[in-house]
Amino acid sequence: MNAIECHQLSRRFRSVIAVDQLDLCIPIGTIFGFLGPNGAGKTTTVRMLCALIAPSTGSARVAGFDIQTEAEAVRANTGILTETPGLYDALSAIENLVFFARLYGLSRDQATERATFYLRLFELWERRNEPVGGFSKGMRQKLAIARALLHDPAVLFLDEPTSGLDPAAARAVRDLIKSLRASGRTIFLTTHNLAEADELCDLIAVFRTRLISLDTPANLRTRLFGRGVRVMLAGPAAPLVATVQALPFVIDVTADEQTLFIRLTDPEHDNPVLVRTLVNAGADIRYLEPFTPSLETVYLELMQEGSAIGK
Amino acid sequence: MVRWERVKVIIGKEWLELRRSRGLLAGMLLPPLLLPLFTLGLIFAMGIVSDPDTADIPAAAVDPTLANLSLEALAQVIFGRQFSVLFLLLPMIIPNVLASYSIVGEKNRRTLEPLLAAPITVSELLVGKVLAAIIPGILLTWLCATIFAIGLVLVVVDPVVPTLVFQPGWLIMLIFASPLLAAISVALTVMISSRVNDPRSAQQIAGVLIVPVMLLFFGQMLGLFVLDVIVGLNFSLLLLLLTVGLIWIAARVFQREEILTRWR
Repeated sequence: MNAIECHQLSRRFRSVIAVDQLDLCIPIGTIFGFLGPNGAGKTTTVRMLCALIAPSTGSARVAGFDIQTEAEAVRANTGILTETPGLYDALSAIENLVFFARLYGLSRDQATERATFYLRLFELWERRNEPVGGFSKGMRQKLAIARALLHDPAVLFLDEPTSGLDPAAARAVRDLIKSLRASGRTIFLTTHNLAEADELCDLIAVFRTRLISLDTPANLRTRLFGRGVRVMLAGPAAPLVATVQALPFVIDVTADEQTLFIRLTDPEHDNPVLVRTLVNAGADIRYLEPFTPSLETVYLELMQEGSAIGK
Repeated sequence: MVRWERVKVIIGKEWLELRRSRGLLAGMLLPPLLLPLFTLGLIFAMGIVSDPDTADIPAAAVDPTLANLSLEALAQVIFGRQFSVLFLLLPMIIPNVLASYSIVGEKNRRTLEPLLAAPITVSELLVGKVLAAIIPGILLTWLCATIFAIGLVLVVVDPVVPTLVFQPGWLIMLIFASPLLAAISVALTVMISSRVNDPRSAQQIAGVLIVPVMLLFFGQMLGLFVLDVIVGLNFSLLLLLLTVGLIWIAARVFQREEILTRWR
């Protein structure tokens, strides 16, 4: 079963199309990365999926509920971390959490219990009675994440969850996100931190008004760049480029000082021939390893392709 | 259908924030509490210093029940009536201040989106915010009016003065029109909130609300009417119609979609 399903979901603001015919299927228990530049329509998409604004056309179901006809059920089963934490500065940390928990229908006792749990989890317990106005950016972010989790939502929408957090706190949040996936929750992650998306996400969508690409991070890399190996040599790499390029299974080869980057169709099958050819050509090979382009490289390539298609 | 449990949660949060904002709390409490003291002081002074011109004030001339009063008592009645009308400003000013901080404040702090993402209806949210602003306004108005009524008995020169100051029309206005004026004030604040980013701007624009009360103030002073039962009921009826209309508009402005996509 899918946690989120969109069919031709679109949203128009007067003459501007913010989201254009988005089709998505996100299985339960997935961490889904939603990547795109500023102004791509990511926030509008999240708002539609959280039943905060209505689509112009198309439909979507979130946590099994229709975003238009069952909007309140959608909101009850989703948690959202917005771009800004949006906390009440005059209230204490625990008052902020108890207030929101009660809005989600929890009794006072349940609300206090949940708030206590998350304040301890995020190491805010010692400062629970202090006004949030005096909290650091990282503390506020942690509190806002706690607020999104209070009612135990099936689907969680997180916008830049580790923004402003120190490395240890960011690691804790990433571990928490992984543990949420392990407990069967679905996470819709909007982020510009591509390393984070790469580490966390099972599925990644690259989006700019329209869906440009949707796949696993590994498949995105393979689709765009094929598979590759990096060969570290004891001598200069440039003289070997022509020899390697002549091999029939090599898609592309580049040299950088003592390193060759070679794109292949099937490294497991072709590597022995490649190594033999290099040795025969007089190369001293220090080591050879799979070469994986960063998600940033993949993203930038996809955005470029998206622009070309848009034009 | 409004779920009152959720509404109570909203009201509780609003009042908790109010208690924590000492400046706002002082600004809300002090002026209303000073009004009866100021008015009583003025009426007391009128009982000491008599002015022969008082009898020529149009408000005195048009009301035959004031014919046999001493100049001091007449002055106390005239000023008592005039300033008692000013108590009708309180149910507009206090809710206006509270609602502008509540709604424009949430907009500025960007706390509205998480709030709107909760499984509450906008009606529940609006009712919660409106009641949280109106209830203190009405209670404070009635408290100040009660202080004024008790104090008046102590400062008058003639025991008949309080019965002439507290006209039935004024009592009708105080009991029935106060909640309506408060509701109008909040409805207008909600409408203005969608266009301004500063609570003080919202308060200034909503200052137009004092116009109907000032009409009563000056109309009575100029002898155009006496605030009797008929005037009180007619005015309340007019306010009721205005309240219904403005709340209808405010409810349309205060929609999730509207707030998230059009509020600036």
